[in-house]
Amino acid sequence: MLASYAIIKVRQILKERLEMKQKRKGRIIFHVDMNAFYASVEMAYNPELKGKPLAIAGNPEERKGIIVTSSYEARAKGVKTTMPLWQARKLCPELVVMRPNFERYRTASTEIFKLLAEITPYVQPVSIDEGYMDITEYDRSLGSPLEIAQQLQNAIKTKLDLSCSIGIAPNKFLAKMASDMKKPFGITVLRKREIGAKLWPLPIEEMYGVGSKTAEKLKKFNINTIGDLAKTDVYQLKQVLGINGERLQNRANGIDPSPVDPDAVHEFKSIGNSQTFAHDTTDEREIHHLMEKLADNVERRMKRKQAVGRSVQLMIRYSDRKTITRSKKVPYYLDTRKDILQIVHELWQKHWSQDPIRLIGITVQDVEEKQNIAHQLDLFTYEKEASKEKLYEAIETLTEKYGDNLFIQDPQQKNSNEEKEQPRTSFQKDFLDDFKH
Amino acid sequence: MKFIVQRDKLIASVQDVMKAISARTAIPILTGMKIEAKKNGLLLTGSNSDISIESHIPVEEEGIVHIEQIEEGSIVLQARYFPEIVRKLPEKTVEVEADANLNVTIRSGKAEFNLNGQDADEYPQLPKLQTDESFELPIDLLKNLIKQTVFAVSTMETRPILTGVNLKLEDNKLSFTATDSHRLASREIPMDSTNVSFSSVVVPGKSLNELSKILDDSEETVEISVTNNQILFRTKHLNFLSRLLDGNYPETSRLIPDQSKTVIHIKTKELLNTIDRASLLAKEDRNNVVKLTTKSNQIVEITGNSPEVGRVVEEVNVDSIQGEELKISFSSKYMLDALKAIEYDEVKIDFTGAMRPFIIRPANNDPILQLILPVRTY
Repeated sequence: MLASYAIIKVRQILKERLEMKQKRKGRIIFHVDMNAFYASVEMAYNPELKGKPLAIAGNPEERKGIIVTSSYEARAKGVKTTMPLWQARKLCPELVVMRPNFERYRTASTEIFKLLAEITPYVQPVSIDEGYMDITEYDRSLGSPLEIAQQLQNAIKTKLDLSCSIGIAPNKFLAKMASDMKKPFGITVLRKREIGAKLWPLPIEEMYGVGSKTAEKLKKFNINTIGDLAKTDVYQLKQVLGINGERLQNRANGIDPSPVDPDAVHEFKSIGNSQTFAHDTTDEREIHHLMEKLADNVERRMKRKQAVGRSVQLMIRYSDRKTITRSKKVPYYLDTRKDILQIVHELWQKHWSQDPIRLIGITVQDVEEKQNIAHQLDLFTYEKEASKEKLYEAIETLTEKYGDNLFIQDPQQKNSNEEKEQPRTSFQKDFLDDFKH
Repeated sequence: MKFIVQRDKLIASVQDVMKAISARTAIPILTGMKIEAKKNGLLLTGSNSDISIESHIPVEEEGIVHIEQIEEGSIVLQARYFPEIVRKLPEKTVEVEADANLNVTIRSGKAEFNLNGQDADEYPQLPKLQTDESFELPIDLLKNLIKQTVFAVSTMETRPILTGVNLKLEDNKLSFTATDSHRLASREIPMDSTNVSFSSVVVPGKSLNELSKILDDSEETVEISVTNNQILFRTKHLNFLSRLLDGNYPETSRLIPDQSKTVIHIKTKELLNTIDRASLLAKEDRNNVVKLTTKSNQIVEITGNSPEVGRVVEEVNVDSIQGEELKISFSSKYMLDALKAIEYDEVKIDFTGAMRPFIIRPANNDPILQLILPVRTY
C-alpha cells in the first residue's frame, strides 16, 4: 500500500515535468489505433477465423442485435458498425457472428498498453483500443520516431498477433487524424506544414471531434471540408458552434495544445450504464427490472472506483427515438443501488410519458473519489459509526505520524475472493487503470 | 354572477390563493381559481393535492366598502391569466361578470377582457373538517415556530415523513420538530388554555412555508384545528387547509443526547460570522465542511479547507469551555441555519464526541434546540 502511495507521487512528478516540457515547442505525439480490435482479438484467439468475414454483435439472437465491429473481410462486403444484424447477413451470407468476449479484449488491451508504457511513461489511454503517447523525450538509442513506431507496431504484431495503425504528429489531433489515413497496419507521419495537402481536402465529417450533427450544421454554412473550416471567419463559427467552434477551427489549422495526460483516464465526472430493450415496451415490471440491473452495474463500477456521486440521471429513449434525460441532485453522496434506484424511480414517476420505451440509461453524476469527501453522519445511524470512533482516532494519530493512505481499504484485496468485476462495454474505461498497477 | 371590487383587495386575495394553485395537477380544473360571489362578499379558492386556500373579501369592513353590485353566482377562471390581468388593469375598481354560457367579462376603465370560464359545479368540494376542537395562537408566534424549524425538513422523498414538521400538543406544551436526519430543529412553547391534545401530526414543510408567506402580520390570532388527515389554519379572512403526511414520525426525543463531554458558551454572532467566513473556503459540493478545534480555556479555532482553493483559520473567543478537548468537523451550512434560527445573543453548545450529535441551545435554556450531526472526514 505504501507502494501505491509511491506510484501516486511518481505520477505527480512526471506530470509536472511533462507540463514544463510541453511549454517548449516541437512535441512528438503518437496515436496508436488498433485495427478492427474485437475481431482481431478473436482471430488471435482462434486462428481458424483468419481470413473469414467476422462480426461481433451485441445480441445475435435478438431483433436489436447490431454489429459492434467487424473484420476487414466483412467490411469489404459492406458490413458496417451499428448495422443491424439481419442487414449484415444479407450483404454477407457467410458472415461469422460472435458475441463480444470483453474479458479477452480487456486482457489484450492491458498487454498493448504495457508495450506502449515500455517506450514512455506518457501514455494516455483513450479507450480499450486506442491511446496517445508523447515521445518528445524519447530515448535516442531506440532510433528515429518513425523507427520507434515501426518497432512498436511489429512488437504488437508478433507478441499479440494484433495489428494497429500509428499516426505521428506534433499534437494529439493531428496524430489521431494521421492514424486514420492508412489502415490497416499503417504508419503515417503528418507534419504541420503538410496539413494543406493532406488534411484540408478531407470532408468535414471525417474530422475528429465533428459528429454528424455538427457536420450538418457546418454544411449549412457551406463548410464541407476541413480546409473550409480552417478558413472560415472565427466570429461566424462561434455563432454556429459556440466556444467549441474556435477549438475545432484551431484543430483544422493543425493547432491542438492539449497534453498527453496519463491521468486523464482517472478523472471521471459520471458513471453510467444503459441498455436497449429487446422490444419496445410499456411494461413497468420489465422496465423496473432493467433499472435494477443497470443500478447494479453502476453500483459495482462505483465501488470499483471507490467513488460516490450526488446526482442521478435517468435517460429514456422512446420508440420514436425521442430521448429525454432528467436528473436530480441530492444533498448527500450516494453509491448504493438502493439510493440510486430510489431517485431513478422518482424521476421515472415524474417524467415517463407512458409511451413505449426502447432504451433506459442510468448515470450517477458529480462523481468524486471517496477520499476527497467528507461523510455526513445520520441521526438514526450514527451510533454504528460512533462505535468506531476510537479506531478512527487511532488512525488519525498514526496518519499524522506516518503519512496518508496507511489504512485505506484495498478494494482489490477485498474482492479477491469474489468474482472479478467485468466491464461490459467498450465505453467503460475503468479497467484502463490496471495496466499500471 | 357579477360584482365590482376594489382592485387592491382582489389582488391581495388572488395572490394568497395562487399559493395553492399549480400548473401541473392531475385534476385539470384545479389549474383554475374558483370565485364565488355571495351577499356577504367574495370567496376565492385555490387548491392542489396538498393544500387548499380560501380567501374571503367581505362586502365591507370598518365602514369601508370593498364590493358593490353583487349578483350571486360562481365561476372558475384560468389561474394562468386571471392574476396578471387583474394586476395590470388600469383603474382602482374591477368589474367581473359571468353569463350563463360561462363567458366572463372583466372591465376596468376602458379595458375589457373576455375570458372563457369553467363551471364552478365541476370544481371539487373542499373536504369539510370534522372537528370542533381547536386552539388559538398569536400569528407572529406561529410564524416564529415555523421559521425556527421548517428549514430542517428533508428535501428528499427517501423518507417522506421527514419532509414534514412534527406537531405535538401534550401536557400543555406545543412543540414543532423537524429533521432531515442530518440535523434537527425543535421548539416548544407552553399552551395553558386548551384541552386539545394530539401527538403525531406531521404537516408538509411546503405547506408551512406557504402558510407563513400568506399569514398577515396585521391579523392577530390564528385558529388551528386538527383531524386525522388534515389541518386547518383559520384567520378572519383566510382558510388554509393542508393534508397531513401519512406514517409515524420517528421518536426523536430519545435520539437527543442528555449528557455532554464538552460544553462551550459563545456569542452567537461571533460564531456565526466566523463560520460564515470559514465556509467561503468550504466547498459546497463537499458538504461545506468546517472544522472546530478547542484551543485553550477561552479559544476555539475554526478552519475551512479546500485543497484546490486554499485554507482559512480563525480563532474565536468563547465565554467558556468545559470538559474534554475536541476536534469536530461539520457542515457550515447546517451550523449557520441553526445559529440564525436561535435568535438569542448567547448560545450553549453541548458536544458529545467527534462522531456524535451536538446541540445548540440559547444560553438561557429556552426550549429551542438545534441538533447537528458532524461529518466524518475519510
